[in-house]
Formats: sequence, C-alpha cells, structure tokens
Amino acid sequence: MNLERLPNEEKLSLCRKYYLVTLAFCQIFLFISPGGFAFLPFLWLVNVVWFFREAFLKPAYTEQLQIKAYVKRSALGLLLWVAVLTTWITIYQHFRAEWGEVGDYLSFTIPLGIP
Amino acid sequence: CLKALNGQPPAAPAPRVVEREEEEDEEELTLKYGAKHVIMLFVPVTLCMVVVVATIKSVSFYTQNDGQRLIYTPFPEDTDTVGQRALNSILNATIMITVIIVMTLVLVMLYKYRCYKVQINTSNILLHHVYSLISCTLEEVFKTYNLAMDYVTLAIIIWNFGVVGMMCIHWKGPLRLQQAYLIMISALMALVFIKYLPEWTAWLILAVISVYDLLAVLCPKGPLRILVETAQERNEPIFPALIYSSTMVWLVNMADTDRPNRNSTEAASPQQEPQEVASPVPSSPSQDDGGFNQSWVSQQEHRLGPLQSTEETRREIQQMPSARPPVEEDDEERGVKLGLGDFIFYSMLVGKASATASGDWNTTLACFVAILIGLCLTLLLLAIFKKALPALPISIFFGLVFYFATDNLVRPFMDKLALHQFYI
Repeated sequence: MNLERLPNEEKLSLCRKYYLVTLAFCQIFLFISPGGFAFLPFLWLVNVVWFFREAFLKPAYTEQLQIKAYVKRSALGLLLWVAVLTTWITIYQHFRAEWGEVGDYLSFTIPLGIP
Repeated sequence: CLKALNGQPPAAPAPRVVEREEEEDEEELTLKYGAKHVIMLFVPVTLCMVVVVATIKSVSFYTQNDGQRLIYTPFPEDTDTVGQRALNSILNATIMITVIIVMTLVLVMLYKYRCYKVQINTSNILLHHVYSLISCTLEEVFKTYNLAMDYVTLAIIIWNFGVVGMMCIHWKGPLRLQQAYLIMISALMALVFIKYLPEWTAWLILAVISVYDLLAVLCPKGPLRILVETAQERNEPIFPALIYSSTMVWLVNMADTDRPNRNSTEAASPQQEPQEVASPVPSSPSQDDGGFNQSWVSQQEHRLGPLQSTEETRREIQQMPSARPPVEEDDEERGVKLGLGDFIFYSMLVGKASATASGDWNTTLACFVAILIGLCLTLLLLAIFKKALPALPISIFFGLVFYFATDNLVRPFMDKLALHQFYI
C-alpha cells in the first residue's frame, strides 16, 4: 500500500478504520476487561507510524485535520497501553519468584537457575 | 552488455537515430528496472535466510532430533542399512510430493470454480495454526535466552501479531509491514521443515519439488500454469496471501485507471492458505507516469497447506510485460512477485546446510551464493521469455550442487590446507 497513491478521502477512511478496528475489538472483550479498552496497541502503533507523515509533515489539505485527530488518538491509546504493559511486566519480572505457585502458574517459560 | 545488442552505427540518418535512441532508452529502462527488480528480490530472500540461519544457530531446538516427525513422513531414517534408509526417504518424499500435488490441484480447482468461501474459511482456520507455531517458536527462543514470560503478555503479543498480520495481508496495510510479515512467516515454515523433515528426505524433497515446479509451471496442463492464466484472464490478483511483491506500484499505466494494483504479499505460511481472491483490493489509482508504458510483472505462486492437513508449495515466476499503447487502461501489477514457497524452500536449503553441514559457514555461504545466483538467472530468463517461470529449479539445483560439493570436496581441501599451513 503506497499512501501517496491514495486520494485524501481514502487516506482518512483508512486511518479511521485502523483506529476503529481496535476499538471494535475492544467491544468483544468488554466482558473480559471492565476498562473495555482495545487490546491492539500494535495496530495503533502501525496507525501512528504510517500516517504520521501524512498528518503532520505534509502541507494541509481538507481531510488532514481529521487524520491528525485520529493519529493523535491512536498515539494516546498507544501510550496508555505501553504504560500498562510496562507496569505489568515490571511487576511480573520482579515478583515472579516471590509469588510462588501463582507465579509459576502465570509463567509461560520459567528460567532456570537461581533468581 | 545486453544494451550492446542495439548498437547503432553513428552515421545513421537522423530520424532513425532518434527512433532507435528511443527504443534504446526503452530497453535501457527495461533493463534498469530489471536490475532493480533483482535487487529488490535479493533483499527479502536474504533477510529470510538470515533469520532462519540465525535462529538455527542460536536456538538449539531446531537441530535437536527428538524423533518427532510430521505425519507426512512416516518412515524413520535412523535405520540399520543404507538401503533401508534410502528406501524410506524415497517413500517419505513421495508421500510429501503427492500430498502437495493433491493440494495444489484442489486449490486450483477451487480458484477456477470460484469457491471463494471455502478458501476464506480454510484460511481462517489455518491462521490458528500459525498462532501455535509462533508460540512454539517464541517459547523456544525464550528458553534459549532464559527469560521468563507470562501468559498475559504472551497472549497480547500473539494477538496483536495475528490481527495486524491478518489486516496487512488480507486487507490493506503498509507495504513494508506486509513484506515483513511474509518474511517472518516464510522463515517460520522453513524452520518447521528443517526440524521435522529427516535428512535425506529433506534433500530429496527439495530436488523433487524443483522438478515438479518445472513441470507444473511450464507444461500446458500444469496446475500452476492454469492458475496463473486464470488469474490473468480475470485480471485478479492471485491468492493475496501467497505471493511476495516487491513493490506496490511502480509505473502505472494510464491516466485514469483505478484498478487495484496490489498483488502483494501473500502469506505463504503453510498454515495459512489465504485465498481471498474474492476481494481484489481496490483503491490505488494509477498515476500517470509520463508515458512509459511498459511494465514488468512477475508473479510467483506459492501455496502452503497447513501442517496438519497438507503442505504444498509451489512457485512460479511469471512475468507479463505489456508494451501496450498508452490508450489502453491497464491494470498491471508492477514490481516483481515471488511466491512464498520459493522463500520457504530457499531458506530451508540454506538452513539445512547450516544445521547439518560439517563445513559450517563455508557450506552455508556457498549455498546462499548459489541460491542468489540461481535467482538472478531465473529473473534473467524471465526477462527473456516473458512468461511464468518456476523460480525453484535453477536455484535449488545450484544450491544442492554447491552444498554437496562444498561439504564433500571443498571442506576437506580447506582443512588439509589449514593443516599444512598452506595458504592460497
């Protein structure tokens, strides 16, 4: 997909779809996570990176404002997710040994050796 | 040097010279594009091979012989006699090839008779197999580096990877991301093959697949050829998830076409058989590129079935140049396309060479170079013949020759030289 080839409306619609798809997925998981946030930070990252140049570095055109909005929202969601994940990973790595059984239960792979 | 074929005597009359010059320019442009295409294919193939070799070298899981085999290769290779082993490996290879041929035929039939629903459903199911494969690989990688990983993070990672992959490949996404996904999936499949195919079977399969590829693509009744021709007739992209495309839009033909030009990346992951040809992706309007109306199209097909069902890989390079008059609207896929099966088998060859060869890096490098040379030659032939070509035979042939030659001839030679401190 080469962005330059797309007319502006299509770019906007693509950006919006990328943003919304993630939110749509969150509806599926609404009953799992009370926060209801989408579980697709990667998609938001792709959205941000891909449309960044379009939104901020190009001369203005009509749909650019909306594209900017979507990119900003995606970036916000991404930051939130990065914060959450970092916190969780830090907690997990730090306290895994101390949690005993629960820690083992949560672990996909358990490193060998003395922690 | 190919340019030289068009040498003109300097004393030609003026208008003719101009014409000829234009033709020469066109030819030069053709050749330039040709060279660029080759380079553009080199990079992903190299990347894929590098990933495979790196994984094999670092994660020992792939070289351990646990005695596990695929259900397609039921005959063990650790038998008592050489004859027995040869027989077993021939039987294994026969089974695999038969499976592949059957799957190919099924796919072609499905495509020909437009049973897109079936294809889409199959591909969705197969995607789940990709997930399991990825989690296995990740698990091994983490074990190698002695890291802890919890289910939550893992689930999130795999979920993201999968969803974004599906979107990129089957819908719309940035080109680089698609290419990256296809390379990753090809590498994964190659690793699976390397792990689960016993030695002689693997080499035999490579050889036989090349022959099959040759036949399937070039014979008039070959399934791959039928597939490509059908796709051309309908002007649809082939199996959007089975072909790697080096570029989205190169030169586009005339002014106002809005034809979708994406033949892009196909996930050749064996687990996936995305055959969503049903939705030719719309949306990229062509740009007027100033009158240059010749285009290169090379397509390769590759299909891999899922591990659990069948595995098929086929490759084919097809090139459809179209030197059409500017008036026509044409939906040309620009850029070079290589089927994912080709990626997988190239990487499998190099990976196997690095995993099992006694010469280690010598052999690996030799095979790598051999494959790239084969690829060059194939693309050259593509330029000359301008039709679908199988990408496997030449490269695999060279690769095999180099592998066995290096392993058995060059390495002892180098060892002797080193032993006697004799440097050439």
